[in-house]
Amino acid sequence: MPEYIVKESALTEFFKSLATGRRLLTPQGAGDKCKLEETGPDKVRFDYSNTHMSPKQLFFPQNENLMSFHNDASKSDPFVYKDLGDKANPAVIFGIRPCDAKGLSISNRVFQNDRFVDPYWKGKFDKTIKVGLACASPSPQCFCAAMGGSPYGEAGLDVLAFRVGSDLGLKTITPAGEELIKQTAASQADLAGELKNQEAAAVKSQGVGTDLKPIDDKDLMVLFQDPHWTATAENCLNCGVCTFFCPTCHCFDIQDEQSEKGGIRMRNWDTCMSWLFTVHGTGHNPRPSKTERVRQRFMHKLKYIPLKQDGTRGCTGCGRCVVMCPVNIDIREVALKMCQPQAPSQA
Amino acid sequence: MPALSDITSKIRESAKKLLADGRAEVVIGYRQGTVPLTTSPFFARSAADCDQLVWSNFSRINLANYLPGRPGKVALVAKGCDARSAIGQVTENQILKDNLYIIGVPCTGMIDTNLVVAKETRPIKEVVESTDDAITVKGEGFSTDIKKTDVLRRNCQTCANRTPKLADELIGAETPGAAPDDFSDIKALLAKTPAERMAYFKDLIKDCLRCYACRNACPLCYCPICFVDETRPQWLGKSNDPMDTLTFHLLRGLHCSGRCTSCGACETACPVNIKVREFNRVTELTVQNNWNYEAGLNWDQKPPLTMFQTDDPADFIK
Repeated sequence: MPEYIVKESALTEFFKSLATGRRLLTPQGAGDKCKLEETGPDKVRFDYSNTHMSPKQLFFPQNENLMSFHNDASKSDPFVYKDLGDKANPAVIFGIRPCDAKGLSISNRVFQNDRFVDPYWKGKFDKTIKVGLACASPSPQCFCAAMGGSPYGEAGLDVLAFRVGSDLGLKTITPAGEELIKQTAASQADLAGELKNQEAAAVKSQGVGTDLKPIDDKDLMVLFQDPHWTATAENCLNCGVCTFFCPTCHCFDIQDEQSEKGGIRMRNWDTCMSWLFTVHGTGHNPRPSKTERVRQRFMHKLKYIPLKQDGTRGCTGCGRCVVMCPVNIDIREVALKMCQPQAPSQA
Repeated sequence: MPALSDITSKIRESAKKLLADGRAEVVIGYRQGTVPLTTSPFFARSAADCDQLVWSNFSRINLANYLPGRPGKVALVAKGCDARSAIGQVTENQILKDNLYIIGVPCTGMIDTNLVVAKETRPIKEVVESTDDAITVKGEGFSTDIKKTDVLRRNCQTCANRTPKLADELIGAETPGAAPDDFSDIKALLAKTPAERMAYFKDLIKDCLRCYACRNACPLCYCPICFVDETRPQWLGKSNDPMDTLTFHLLRGLHCSGRCTSCGACETACPVNIKVREFNRVTELTVQNNWNYEAGLNWDQKPPLTMFQTDDPADFIK
């Protein structure tokens, strides 16, 4: 699909047309307060590295009420759970980073596939157009290229935006993105060469990532039974920080809560780091210690998701877990351990 | 005050000796983090492992957290607060004193990454800790010196017990404590109405994700099953409902009464920068006022709220 350009002087007008008939969401706030918020077309910023938390909460909130009932016996339907439905309005996100867009595309295949469609996710996700902002200077914490992505990656995006001096370049990726940009005053321009050069420079600035192909090649059970997991998990606190901040972690727990007038069924983020995540009604826990729980997280990211999603890794290299982990467990180090040849005694 | 590199080499030396002598099977210390402004807890079991141990301005997480229930002989690299936590765990029968060896490091306070990032907002790629009282942070086209006293963690600014005096050995000379917490803000808070206090604490935790990093980083939170994880019956809702979330923090705060050593691990671990210690500071002030007690300052004294005495002056308990 073609590229477009918006001159600096026309940016506010451009964002105004993006926001016509939709909510415009862009990163606002600094540091740990930086998050995607509804924004006026004149308030769009380019000076952030990334949002503190991943954008998954827009489509998969930490707490989401799914259905409710009332206990008013004078009405016809007491104690019957009714779907709370989907009240999301159409939106456009501008400024999502390619790592996070890729994360959303991975979760989208979990919530919408040929076996299941999650209506709560779908209602919000399908109504949102995603315009990414390429990372010309990736943060020190970033390693998207090592995970098979790119600071200029297109996965999960409808449009990729990138700075051309003070102007804004745009590359449309999906028909929805093309349609969106055509509604604006952006003019078509040949920026393919510019885009390629920018991407090469940004990838180079991340340094050479480790080749993770050995993980793809190794047998699942060999990886699973590798003795390194005990040491790898030893300093883990089993808190939920990595999973809550991860753009691709999507596990949840269903809870029923009652009040005097009725009740709700909600889903809340859950975390495989917690022993409660897997404990059975019998009291038996198939992941009894943190070794099994830590193994689950990294196997899921680096082996199970690639197996289920045509080789796409479940880690997008956003670096949040590395920086936010209270004890600095680094998925890159864990991946290296998973790449190591098996010790002879284990062969 | 010896340089950080001297402390590092002395820790390594001591750790190697303890492993070689069979005094410890594992030495729990810190190694360099993989990103700037961090360290990572590290378990050294061989001489080669010991060469990875470091001491830095970012040795923040309280390693006593790894002690409860740990079998075998263990050596712990500990700041003043960490040693107090370990001693508290001995008095609470979580680990045998005979199995514990404390490598005490007289501390000068640890640095709060958030304060560093607030001072230098550009992406930091490297930290140099060459002098005792300052760090240099570097990135694309900048190199900024930051005075350590300007970026100390809140708890370190008011730490009167920086030297772990009850440790089995001290790495270097004792360091002077800071002026202790005067609790003036907490006293002002306690003078307010219940409604105002409720509003304060609700606002304090409004960003809480219930990831439980505070609890899991806390050396006092060693319950096999935390009350928030109980399912038979379930005591607490699981969402971020303000009352459920506040109940978690209030009960955790109360449960730590008279046991907290202000190590700040909870605040260091919190990913959304909640001042978790505010709950503990209220209970610590209360315990100090009522029983003149501070945790972890000797091997024998039990936390007052775990004790019963027939001559207790309070009427309700008789």
